[in-house]
Amino acid sequence: MDLSAVPSGVLVGLLILQLSVAIHVVFVTITLGVGVITALYRTLAVRRSDPFAEALARRSSKVLIVSELFSGVWGTIITVVLAGFFPGLVALSTNLLFTPIAISIASILIRIPSIAIFWYTWGRIRPETHVLIGWVMALSGFGVPLGFRALFSEITHPHAVGLYLSGGHVGLLTAYSNPLFWTLYLHTVLATISLGGFMIASLETLTKNVRGVSIGVSFGLIFLVAQLLAGPLYWLSLRYYSPYVYQNVTFGSFMPLFVIKMILAVILLIVSIYTWAMTSKLNTIPRLTWSLGPIAATIVFLGEILNDSSRYPYMVVTGDTGISPVAFSNFYMEIPLPVIYIILGFLVISIVVFSVAAYYALVKMFLREIPEEVEV
Amino acid sequence: MSDLSPLLHLSALGVYFHAIFVSLTLGLPLVILSLLIQYARTNDPVYLSGVRKVTAVLAVNFALGAVTGTLVEFGLIQVWPGTILVIASFALAPLALELIAFAMEIVLLVLFIVTLGRIRALYSIIIIVLYWAFALFSGVLITAVNSWLMAPWGTGGVAQALYPFMPAYGPLYADAAKLVALKIVLLASGSPLQEVLQVPEASSEIGIILTDPMIAFSNPYALASILHNLTAAIIIGSGVALAAWGYRYYKTGDRRYLQLIKAFAIPLFILILIQPTVFGHFMGTMVVQYNPTKFALMEGAEKTFYNPLIAFLAYGDPNHPIVGFDQFYAQCDSMKNVALKDLASSLGLSKDYILDLSSKLGISIDPKKLDQVLDTSVADVCRSDLDAALSRMRIVHYSYFTKIAFGIVAFMSAIAIMSVLYDVPVLTRLTRGILRINSGDSERRWIFILASLILLGAVMSSALGWLVREVGRKPWTVYGLVYPSEVVSVSPIAYQTSFVLVAAFIVLAVNLAGLLAMYIVATRELRFLDLLKRGLGVRG
Repeated sequence: MDLSAVPSGVLVGLLILQLSVAIHVVFVTITLGVGVITALYRTLAVRRSDPFAEALARRSSKVLIVSELFSGVWGTIITVVLAGFFPGLVALSTNLLFTPIAISIASILIRIPSIAIFWYTWGRIRPETHVLIGWVMALSGFGVPLGFRALFSEITHPHAVGLYLSGGHVGLLTAYSNPLFWTLYLHTVLATISLGGFMIASLETLTKNVRGVSIGVSFGLIFLVAQLLAGPLYWLSLRYYSPYVYQNVTFGSFMPLFVIKMILAVILLIVSIYTWAMTSKLNTIPRLTWSLGPIAATIVFLGEILNDSSRYPYMVVTGDTGISPVAFSNFYMEIPLPVIYIILGFLVISIVVFSVAAYYALVKMFLREIPEEVEV
Repeated sequence: MSDLSPLLHLSALGVYFHAIFVSLTLGLPLVILSLLIQYARTNDPVYLSGVRKVTAVLAVNFALGAVTGTLVEFGLIQVWPGTILVIASFALAPLALELIAFAMEIVLLVLFIVTLGRIRALYSIIIIVLYWAFALFSGVLITAVNSWLMAPWGTGGVAQALYPFMPAYGPLYADAAKLVALKIVLLASGSPLQEVLQVPEASSEIGIILTDPMIAFSNPYALASILHNLTAAIIIGSGVALAAWGYRYYKTGDRRYLQLIKAFAIPLFILILIQPTVFGHFMGTMVVQYNPTKFALMEGAEKTFYNPLIAFLAYGDPNHPIVGFDQFYAQCDSMKNVALKDLASSLGLSKDYILDLSSKLGISIDPKKLDQVLDTSVADVCRSDLDAALSRMRIVHYSYFTKIAFGIVAFMSAIAIMSVLYDVPVLTRLTRGILRINSGDSERRWIFILASLILLGAVMSSALGWLVREVGRKPWTVYGLVYPSEVVSVSPIAYQTSFVLVAAFIVLAVNLAGLLAMYIVATRELRFLDLLKRGLGVRG
């Protein structure tokens, strides 16, 4: 395909979409993984009256309260960019992927308020009820990729879309019979808990809590090892069902990125095994432990870039070829690019403000674990 | 076409819950800001405690507001995907700019929560002011989009060609021929717009339909709606704090609650006095000018009548008739000899062009059906839509006057509570005399009653006002241009009762749980912290 045939407005849309998806996925992956570990340790705290588990759960839930809404912003950005730049794709998806999108929306609807409710009702309601809210919060999060990963699978290997275009019947759950979906979903879920664990390990180094680091790194490591099976499984399923993407990632222009991702995964594996050994056997925290979360997040970021960009210059890949983004683009008006650049400028500012807030909340410990006593 | 009522009701449920949380999102910052200013001036910790309490409620509320906003947004593109065409054209600039507002709102709220009490009050004031500004900006942009649905600015006389009683909606920045051609394709194929939009290359086949992407900002209807709706939201949001602390004052007699109320009472009362009189009037004149059927429905004007007071308020002329449906029907009949094909040909659209366009879009049209559509009399379309509008007269008319009554309740209660809280010459003596306030107990009781009446009046008049706004727009989704049946989903799942019931259940469950959580956060003490304190090594 001739890249010069893609209008600049469409390219800008693709770039913003790519960046937004990658940022969104990293934040969502962090909060989903941390959410599960938080709910688990809150449960252990209540069942065993374990003060350590209680403190760990409370500390880790700060990550959720600080970053969940910000990750949600990027989800909204994705929606507006899709509807504004690629209305054809949105119109097609909301028809053929009605069920997966509905599952995602319902999950978002439950997930975000339950995080705020979990944080602010801590200590105000019976612990058993609070634990239940914690699990609603943790598990509802996995409904989000359960829906949206179906969309990603469809644009990599159009199963429901293919059926529809060939005149076949697209049922309620057709998108879930896409052979790519389940390997991608498994890959996503394992990455989520692994990254959550490594993030907790990194943050626990700030409080120099050896047990906390050990727990975080254990989760990270176990699910990273599981990824040694799930990752190749997804890669092989791409080989069979989306040879264009497989080729691009393995031997094509995205191979360097893929190699970097693999090298980082090996580094993560080595550092996490070392940290696990040091914390569990010698009761000390190695200096490199803080890097576990950032390395794992970088791997997720690169993975998402690989996953999405490797379709380029197509938006929907069909075997060895695909459909250009131009086919789905907005030609109903000329999109005012200066407005888009202003918006991007403000989004950069929002990232800066968020980083300041996250730094003060998590590193400088401004966001206290003990809820403020309110007299009035 | 299946019955769309369940889907319309589902959307309304989502919108109403969103409205509750948006009101608190816009109103509570006024309370927080006022309390912080008092805290900065006096250093009295009671104000900081009040700020912490309201901030906790605002945080839970914000999460609910954000997800219900997402729900409404997804509801639009999933259940009503025909609106994607609006989102990709007339509404794109406001919605894209809304991303700035939403992102900045969230990061500033998180920054405010994290730093509250840890930095100087002045810095917290700056952060909350910025947060509020972006929250209001978000409201401005979303209201601009909604206002475009009410008065589709930039479409010139397109609606007027079918409905002669309608005004022109600004200059023509839309490609009228393409819009009419699309409309005829939909009518002849019986398909919703999604059937067209989802076809790859559809956008390039149709091409430019809008030449001014910023047109939604020039809409005079938007300015009135923004002033009217946002002030109403602020009143409701801060009215909740007023009623809550009014109740606590009544129950405990603790004058610190009165101290908190007085911190934000004056700006709130000023808004209550201005909102219905100045902004409400401005909104009303816009409805008169741009939504003639809605105004007739509000006034119950099935027949044209004279009422000097309403005429003066609406038209600035007491002798002007209140134009009713009889005149609209008469204007429809003046188009008796005009068929849709005449309108189409006046725009240069031929039958062949329409068949060619539909074939390029992959939409099959039976040429006989197309002939039928083109031969349809404009008067028939006009009269049939007036019938559909008129069928809603009872609900719009009674809702409107009930709204006015509740507005008066809020207005009078605001004057009364002002004269109880402050020493206003003549008025204070008069109010205390009428209400027989002669002791501390009766004063507390009346402050609570009046605060509750303000909240009740504000909530009811806003809820009913929104009903009038939305139902009064029907039978169109975009006033005078697009029907709900044209923007609805083509997916059969959307029409399944099980989908509507499950969706409604989730919406209700999450929102009611959220409201309960906000109540718990606002009222319950911290009782279960021993384990956490032990875990963190905190004594006591």
